[in-house]
Amino acid sequence: MRVLLLFCLSVLGLSLHAQSVQGTIVDESGDPIIGATILVVGTANGTVTDLDGNFDLSNVASGETLQFSYTGMQEQRVEVGDERTFSIILKSTLFLDEVVVTALGIKRDERSLGYSVGRVGGDNLNRVAQENVLNGIAGKVSGVQINSTGGAGSSVSMVIRGANSLNGDNQPLFVVDGVPIANTLNNVGQVGRDNRVDFGNAVADLNPDDIESVSILKGPSAAALYGSRAGNGVVLITTKSGQKADGLTVSINSNTVLDNPIRFLDFHTSYATGVRPYTPDNNPYPGGVLLIEEGSAAGIGPKLDQGYSAIQWNSPIGADGHPQLLPLESHPNNIRDFVQTGINSTNNISIANSNDLISYRASYTNLASRGLIPNSDFHKNYLSLSSAVNVNKNFVVSTNVNVGRSHSNNRPAGNRGSNPLEWAYKVSPHIDINDLKDYWVPGQEGIQQRSQAPGDYNNPWFLANEAINSFERDRLYGNVMGEWQITPKLRLMGRYSLDQFSEERETRIAPSYTREANGAYGLINLGRTESNADFLLTYTTDVNDFSVSASAGGNVLNQNGSSVRTATKERGSGLVIPGLFTLANIEPNNLDFSSTEFRKSIYSVYGLVNLAYKDIVYLDLTGRNDWSSTLPAENRSYFYPSASLSLLVNNMMELPSFDTWKIRAGWAQVGNDTDPYSLYPVLGNAGAWDGVTRLTQSGSLLTADLKPEISTSFEVGTDLAMFDDQFRLSATIYSVSNENQILGLALPQSSGFSSKVINAGKVSSRGWEASVGFTPIRRGALEWNLDFNLYRNRTRIDELTEGIDRFQLWRDAKGGAWTYVGEDIGDIYDAELITVTDPSSPYFGYPILDDEGSWQDIDDQDTRNKIGNFNPDFILGGQSSLTYKNITLSFTIDWRKGGQFVSQTYRYSESDLKTQRWLDKLIVYDGAREDLPQWLKDNEDEYITDGINIVGGPGDEFGGQPFDFGVVVNDGVFNPGVIAEYDDQGNITGYIENLGGPETKYIPYAANYPWSFTSASTFDADFLKLRDVSIGYRLPSQVTDRVGISRADISIYSRNVILWTKAGVGIDPENAFQPEGGTQGNGITFKQGIERYNVNPFVLPIGIRLNATF
Amino acid sequence: MKLVHKLFGLLLLSSVLFSGCDDLSEINENPNGVEPLNAHPNLLMATVISESAKQVVSLGFGNVAGVMQHTQKDAWFSSHNDYDWGDQSWGGQYSILRNADLMQERAIDLELDFHEGVSMAMKAYMFALITDLWGPAPYLDAVAADEGALDQLLPAFDEQSVIYNGVLNDLEQASALFSAPQQSYDAIVGDADLFYGGDVASWQKFTNSLRLRYLMRISDKDPSKAKAGFESVAALPLILDPADDATMPYVGTTSDDSWPSNVLTDASGSSYRRIKMCATLVDKLQTLNDPRLAVWAQPIDVPLVVDPNAAPGTDEVVDGQRRLAPDVVEGQLVDTDPVYVGIPPSVSAIPSGYNLNPTPGQTSFNPHVSYLNELYTKAADPLLVARVASAAEVRFLLAEAAAKGWSVPGSAEEHYQEGIRASFTSWGLEESVEDYLSQPGVAFDGTVRQIIEQKWIASWTAAAEAWFDYRRTGFPQLEAGPIAKRDVLPVRFYYMQSELNINTSNAQAALDLLEETNFSQADGTNSAWSKPWLLQGTGKPW
Repeated sequence: MRVLLLFCLSVLGLSLHAQSVQGTIVDESGDPIIGATILVVGTANGTVTDLDGNFDLSNVASGETLQFSYTGMQEQRVEVGDERTFSIILKSTLFLDEVVVTALGIKRDERSLGYSVGRVGGDNLNRVAQENVLNGIAGKVSGVQINSTGGAGSSVSMVIRGANSLNGDNQPLFVVDGVPIANTLNNVGQVGRDNRVDFGNAVADLNPDDIESVSILKGPSAAALYGSRAGNGVVLITTKSGQKADGLTVSINSNTVLDNPIRFLDFHTSYATGVRPYTPDNNPYPGGVLLIEEGSAAGIGPKLDQGYSAIQWNSPIGADGHPQLLPLESHPNNIRDFVQTGINSTNNISIANSNDLISYRASYTNLASRGLIPNSDFHKNYLSLSSAVNVNKNFVVSTNVNVGRSHSNNRPAGNRGSNPLEWAYKVSPHIDINDLKDYWVPGQEGIQQRSQAPGDYNNPWFLANEAINSFERDRLYGNVMGEWQITPKLRLMGRYSLDQFSEERETRIAPSYTREANGAYGLINLGRTESNADFLLTYTTDVNDFSVSASAGGNVLNQNGSSVRTATKERGSGLVIPGLFTLANIEPNNLDFSSTEFRKSIYSVYGLVNLAYKDIVYLDLTGRNDWSSTLPAENRSYFYPSASLSLLVNNMMELPSFDTWKIRAGWAQVGNDTDPYSLYPVLGNAGAWDGVTRLTQSGSLLTADLKPEISTSFEVGTDLAMFDDQFRLSATIYSVSNENQILGLALPQSSGFSSKVINAGKVSSRGWEASVGFTPIRRGALEWNLDFNLYRNRTRIDELTEGIDRFQLWRDAKGGAWTYVGEDIGDIYDAELITVTDPSSPYFGYPILDDEGSWQDIDDQDTRNKIGNFNPDFILGGQSSLTYKNITLSFTIDWRKGGQFVSQTYRYSESDLKTQRWLDKLIVYDGAREDLPQWLKDNEDEYITDGINIVGGPGDEFGGQPFDFGVVVNDGVFNPGVIAEYDDQGNITGYIENLGGPETKYIPYAANYPWSFTSASTFDADFLKLRDVSIGYRLPSQVTDRVGISRADISIYSRNVILWTKAGVGIDPENAFQPEGGTQGNGITFKQGIERYNVNPFVLPIGIRLNATF
Repeated sequence: MKLVHKLFGLLLLSSVLFSGCDDLSEINENPNGVEPLNAHPNLLMATVISESAKQVVSLGFGNVAGVMQHTQKDAWFSSHNDYDWGDQSWGGQYSILRNADLMQERAIDLELDFHEGVSMAMKAYMFALITDLWGPAPYLDAVAADEGALDQLLPAFDEQSVIYNGVLNDLEQASALFSAPQQSYDAIVGDADLFYGGDVASWQKFTNSLRLRYLMRISDKDPSKAKAGFESVAALPLILDPADDATMPYVGTTSDDSWPSNVLTDASGSSYRRIKMCATLVDKLQTLNDPRLAVWAQPIDVPLVVDPNAAPGTDEVVDGQRRLAPDVVEGQLVDTDPVYVGIPPSVSAIPSGYNLNPTPGQTSFNPHVSYLNELYTKAADPLLVARVASAAEVRFLLAEAAAKGWSVPGSAEEHYQEGIRASFTSWGLEESVEDYLSQPGVAFDGTVRQIIEQKWIASWTAAAEAWFDYRRTGFPQLEAGPIAKRDVLPVRFYYMQSELNINTSNAQAALDLLEETNFSQADGTNSAWSKPWLLQGTGKPW
């Protein structure tokens, strides 16, 4: 190991008589290390540091070597010269030899583990501010994929090693200091039609500043002891405690980041709303006056900036009593003017202290966030207290309590409907969005919004300010734990932990929202409690070179939850008196109310044995048996074992240059139960009909004799470090096979049911993860570390059940994502364009159009027209950290290669002809008209046979042809291809060219969008993202000491900067993630690989972080 | 001593741990709903009736009204006007059957004849509708996935003849269940019966009337059975008075229980605004001077006037009229009717621009085309009902039978006139009916064509029956518009794709029962222009 910070005077004539040495050992943050070992190499002479990190060791001769070590720190060796005072900084282990927290909170040396554990230290997590802990993990751990719906307070999805279960959200289990934390993705609520609001997932309640470290147990091998819920991996979060504090320590963190919007969707600003690009000289309005059809959804009306004037929505009434003409001009900055700079500010103060008897840490965090959309916010206030009391020498009681509130005064809706951003993009470019800021019709304040076409168009400012979705979530989580060292070899731990929250959501929508004329109001109350009581008895002993640790434990889990909803009915008659938001103001027939509750319990016993031979071989064996309330009595009990092995090759033989080299293998099974009440159906409420109760039988058939799902995994891997830890490598390959999946299979509707829950099928995933680290420079105070991680996962459906050949994840936009048995999950399918399939035909590959010249398709379900896959080929993460003295420059970068996503935003917007991209795709021909068919045929690969093509466009500059409907406008386009002729049997007898010749069928540009084809709005998902970049400076101690600060840091950073997307349409591919139920049957999951108005602008954040410890 | 302490500690701990342990089976008892096996049929009756009745309007005021040229849409129009269909789900119909099936099961368990009869009648009606729309369909093995065998999960499709036979048998049995005196039935809750308030005799009339409908339906394919059956049922109690119509009024509180084009729950009014009258119906009603037009349609806002004396290029709005010079309208489709203008069927790719609308587009207001009457902006109204079976229909059926020479009570003319009278009564126009009946073109000429044309008019907002009559008789003689998907009207719905994919081999066998025509074209066999058994060999409607 390497000496980093030392100054040895080399003196030739060494003094041989023994003297004492003194000094201090601190960690990288300058905090003293208590109990670090100092040993004279080759002797038994040694000591440990005291509470202040000081040591004093006598009988050390010059020329002897001192070894400084501490668990989890890199060992250092220094030869003793004349200098007798040492100031040692021990660095935390960059790679191996690290203590990690494993299942049940057991701390282990990483080298003894037979499976891969991902780790992120608190410093690494908090280098830049993150409102959600999960975002801090993105790009830092291989095998972990993070997606989100937007900014602060949004739901964030974390999937480890790919989705293994077809019928769930695949979210890992979160355990904070031993407390399992409820977290789901299903947080979209709705009161009022199409007012879908993502209230954020509960893991967002965790405060990153309180986190000491995060361990990610990726596979079942690591997680087997957590049982049922660990099938998707476990994220173990350890929070800071007071045990390290040396005297009263006060620490303050302040973090502020400004999100500046810089990039928007690729929309045109060239045409007003309307379906045809009329001109003042050529329009159907009586008297030859140009009138803008502002209620039209289409965006291809009169051209802007041509010096035209027209009657518009805000035309003043002139002296003649008629609306006056206003100039038609474009407003290219409408979205930029609508959104605001997002501000996120987190402030945290903590106090910690410890002595022989007690240690404690108390912390308060306030987060305040202002969103990009006006009038949106998110707030969090949390208090946490952790404390440990040494009751006596052998008994420690500790507790950890977190209490706080997350709330928002308004979370804007997503998706289509009341989403302000959607309507901001819909504002016609001939309108200055700032003119809409006064969003009430004068004299009708509180009753009627003002927009370009009331009833058809919402005003985005109105939605932002008058469609309000607020929530408050109060949460309490924590534990009480006792640890009793019964004998030196026998230890007992008992613990009770609780996670409880109650959430109230309130929606207030003012009258005149286009989908709720009289407004909407509703209250939703959610409550959830989970308690766990567990114990673990551990016996540890050493026999010769063997050491053995055996434990046995048990756990009782109880969950319950409830939800109560009282609201106006969706698409109902709204509120009686406008603007009075009370339940009493809802007409009784229009009242929608419901309540549900659930309970679930799992009882478990488990045991584990760790065997070690010297420091060479480690073997872990575990077994667990669960009894779940959700399964039928005969299948309720299920047992599952695991085994893992770690070999330290560097300790078996002499390996020059190798610091460590470990080979590991793990095998494990995990059983999984299901949701409560999955065995027998109950009748649902179809809504009363004029006061008469209507019940309905569910279309989903349940199965009364469900068995637990069993997932079996195997992984092998290696970890090595070479050249004084300047080269580091870790690699794992794994496979997981998930059997007896509890999943909903689609049935034909004629069976009377739409799906049936079955207990069959087999889904397997396989993949690899690798991380490589280098230290290209390590010279004195200068050090540069580079780390890369890379992974790939594929999940395959091996079996379903008899007669069923596919599993559908979602179907939307005339296509969808489903998987055939034997194939990999993630494939996206589309309708197929009907083309000439006879290779001998001169028109081979040409689209066969219908009699009107429109494309024809074979339905997506009738063909296997695969157009992509929503999974990446791989994701490469890179981290760089450059330290020189007090300055650290670091960044994290993510590169996603491969995969596709479907954009519903573009599908809707392009069918409304609002995007520049769609105009850019038009084939514009400017040669002689009679040569056009030949020109197209000469370039058929580019213009005819490669799918959807359109020749011409809205007006002469696109080569639009005269189209006569009321008025002749040159907006006629055609689709290159052929039109078939049929005989009496429906057989094709010949083709007529539709290539611009005399028989060509022209269609007005506005009526020619390929709505039946998903491929028209499918994009590549490749991107390059700067997750974070920061430059930090630690104030020199000479400065800080003078003002009584023990440590102070300042850093400036940015985060989540999208550097490049292959699609280039202004959509973050990581947001291609639709918050709606997805899978067939009754599964709840977000739809992967598809988005619908989840299109926040790209931002360039600038953040500053201050930290001071007293 | 110390050991005792320790043991005591362990005991205490384990008792704390497991004191929270309840019986796991009890925990998993769902507190949120009624188990199906305990459900009373009354809890399902309103569900089955309301959802079935809504089908009449969603078809007959929806795409089928477009096919039968009652209406045209001028935005999101291609499936309504141009038959651009493709994938048509029968999930709604089979969901109704799922509840009707459970209702029947529970009625039999509880020995409730009335409830059993209602469930059988509604099941028969729904299965008949399915085969009317799609052709061969799962019937014998259908709606039984809960019994779990593979052939119940993936039910076989039955030929239409099997389904119509089964439907007729079930209706006969249901009719028998309704034959006892009212007071002999148990557990009738009037409010749950949205048609008849629990009146058993009315249900018998409804059931017999449906039998007439389906016997006439198969009259070309199985003439002897149809005739004999029809003649015997015609003597039984039937819906002959509009007061006995099987109708369901809407409630009008939410979109689910309101008339579909209402503006209460659709604030933008776009679902009202984009349905316009179709020129075919408007012209017919105007020819016959039919007062029902004024109940259904609104006069246009601004009539067009082509003034031969106007200066070239004249296009101006004067005194509520748009005055145009002949050169302005040259080559244009222009309807200068001063009061009512319908959109011709499948007229264009921009139907909203019809009749020189100055503001064509998806949300257009068209001052030169007739909107539906403002009645249709309401969420509920006594005139806004789902008409499942009516006296008008039964009268026209009897008229047609008499005209065919079948032996039924009364003459063809009498039933024809009573049919029109019943329709007028339903629309509040009973006082105008005598004048109407005596008009040329209305006065009975003894043809089936005239009967079916009047039946087509009377089927306003319930156009599915008119479509089925059109297929059977070719009347009224309708033509597809210029941009319709094919040159003739479609004759069936497409099978839904998921059925073809999940229930593949059975669906394939059903396709083999369909007859491709030269209009099937790129669709292949699963085409709206392929003929099911009912039309094969009839040469109709084309």
